[in-house]
Amino acid sequence: MKRQVPLALCFLFGIAMIFTQFSPHSYSQDVYKEVINWGLIISPFALVLAVVTLIQTHATRIRLRTEHWQYSLIVFAGMIVMVLFGVPDGPQNPIVVWLYDNVQVPMDATMFSLLAFFIASAAFRAFRARAFEATLLLITAMFVMIGNVPIGDLVWNKLIFWIPGADNPESWVNSTADGASWFRQWILDIPNTAARRGIILGVSLGVISQSIRIILGIERSYLGGGD
Amino acid sequence: MEVFGIWVAAFLTLCIYSFLYRDNPFYRFAEHLFVGISVGYLIVIGIHEGVIPLAWEPLSKAMNALWTEIIGETTPETRKALRGLFRILPIAIGLLFFARLSPSHTWLIRIPIAILIGFGAGVAIPNVLQANIFAQTRGTIEPFAAIGPFVDVPPEARLSTFDIFGAILMVIGVICTLTYFFFSVEHRGPINWLSKVGIAFLMIGFGAAFGNTVMGRLALMIHRVGFLINDWIGSFGALF
Amino acid sequence: MLEKFMNMDRRIIFILVALVVIIPTLIPIRLPITVSEPTQKLYDFIEELPSGSTIMMAFDYGPSSLAEPEPMAKAVMQHCFSKGVKVIGMTLYPNTPTLADKLMRKIAAENNAVYGEDYVFLGYRPGALQVILGMGTDISSVFETDYQKTPITEISMMENITNYDQIDLLLDLASGSSTETWIIYANTRYGLKIAAGVTAVIIAQMYPYLQSGQLIGLMPGYLGAAQYEKLLNAHGDGTVGLNTASFAHLLIIVLVILGNVAFFIHRRREA
Repeated sequence: MKRQVPLALCFLFGIAMIFTQFSPHSYSQDVYKEVINWGLIISPFALVLAVVTLIQTHATRIRLRTEHWQYSLIVFAGMIVMVLFGVPDGPQNPIVVWLYDNVQVPMDATMFSLLAFFIASAAFRAFRARAFEATLLLITAMFVMIGNVPIGDLVWNKLIFWIPGADNPESWVNSTADGASWFRQWILDIPNTAARRGIILGVSLGVISQSIRIILGIERSYLGGGD
Repeated sequence: MEVFGIWVAAFLTLCIYSFLYRDNPFYRFAEHLFVGISVGYLIVIGIHEGVIPLAWEPLSKAMNALWTEIIGETTPETRKALRGLFRILPIAIGLLFFARLSPSHTWLIRIPIAILIGFGAGVAIPNVLQANIFAQTRGTIEPFAAIGPFVDVPPEARLSTFDIFGAILMVIGVICTLTYFFFSVEHRGPINWLSKVGIAFLMIGFGAAFGNTVMGRLALMIHRVGFLINDWIGSFGALF
Repeated sequence: MLEKFMNMDRRIIFILVALVVIIPTLIPIRLPITVSEPTQKLYDFIEELPSGSTIMMAFDYGPSSLAEPEPMAKAVMQHCFSKGVKVIGMTLYPNTPTLADKLMRKIAAENNAVYGEDYVFLGYRPGALQVILGMGTDISSVFETDYQKTPITEISMMENITNYDQIDLLLDLASGSSTETWIIYANTRYGLKIAAGVTAVIIAQMYPYLQSGQLIGLMPGYLGAAQYEKLLNAHGDGTVGLNTASFAHLLIIVLVILGNVAFFIHRRREA
């Protein structure tokens, strides 16, 4: 019962979505719309899982007085203030908007901007041409980086100016102007696309086979442990 | 109030940046405040942009319509609103997520999860097949339809020699990358060579991703530095 | 000496990074920008849309990565409003509605666009897949009201819009996998034309879709925003940001080269 009912529902909804997409009959389309509606209605409740897990984690930290437990009080304070003003009025409440604009957005943006420092540090310490593959990766990255910013084309155009004949507008040299951004574009258009396409094809075949296994009840890991 | 907001945002921005020196109480304060505010916002959005418009409002409209029906004042609108009563079932299933709060009934959350997973799997099969297998394969071989003079294409639409080279390189790249991911046969002899070429293509792909990631990460920082210099330091004039 | 250099305190690198961003922010420069084909394609598509057409903009990024999509949104909305193209905004990200609402209003005010006539912001609904599929059959089945709780039946620009059939383009401003989801479910299933403006981190994975025609155009991060601004003859945040980024890019390239030179000298000595 605890496993069979979910497996049967998974099968039912999966099969319904496959068949209704192939049948234009009005009954079939009604079922299609209704199943989507069910999905829409059930989805917002999934938020409960995330919130409950977070509350439990921080409540445990406070209860057990683990290291830095006091900071968990700040988590609750922030959450309670938002809920107190936001739940009755909605996200348009001026205090919610103020906190969002001046607390949440700047901190979220700054937190991720730390990565700029770490990527620079990693570029110096870890980005080494140890083997052929690593060298290929490194050289490509350098070309893409230089092609991404306008200074790349500026430097390139200055360099080709030194090639004999560059002062003649008809010369082949002038057709290579903006070479840094052209080469970046070529890398992305051809070898990068080929590699990404290989990954997409491989991953998609995996998604399709996994979806079939889920619908048929062979893949059950989403049910979790227990009976 | 606006200037005060800028100062609060600047203070919190500097709290986070203080982590670059080392972990410290200012950073930890900002980090935890961020988590609390974000989750609070998520709850507000979940209720006002999820539960209320998708579940509560149609259901309450249906209840009102039902009452109107009972007292005999039926209109076409109330008839339409009555359909909202069918939402009781998915709402009840959605509420099963709360079973997470009771250890002995936790298994009940498998029901909404199973429905969402089944829905996702069912809808994925035909669409992923079409979008990621057929369309991508077609994209790989389609350029060859524009190679003249063997194929009947107008001269202006024909691929240049360099484009033909690109199209061939693309086919080689896709086949070799797929070969690298093909684990059903041992990578020896020609398969090994193909897979090595596949690795080279993958490395170029990852290199391109890294190069772009640098631009992305720097953009985030430029935005914050712009805020500190233009908005925060710019607000000094309003204060003094 | 070499060992010391290779193991230099990373905070020295942090200071260098800060300097190459702060100095060009204080003393802005303006370098020539080359427009790439994917951005040009998106511009041309919108340029050819007749007045009264409608595009949908999905603000599928969080506050963590707003730096890049915001200038793109600004440039495209400016282009749309100047041509009389209407814009419907929405988001698949729960932490974005307030951000997107504020951004749309700000850009609209700068371009004298009127809410409900030239643009509308629908807000957020949970479950990306269901939202995309649901809007394909009937937008009002997902968004019965806009973000301000006005029924969409009372919004004049939504009068003749039922589903994707009346929308000429979806522009996904993305920082994650949402563009693939739009392609797989809205383009494949309903034939909605899709373009993307993505953060630099995910540019590379967009190219297969661009080559196959599943994406009709692509704006790559700050670069895309700057290129679009150039096409509009505007000087916006994308152009400023990209110029500022030039020096930081050079620093990182120098750091990679120095790190490798030190590494090879060290390896040769050890051998």
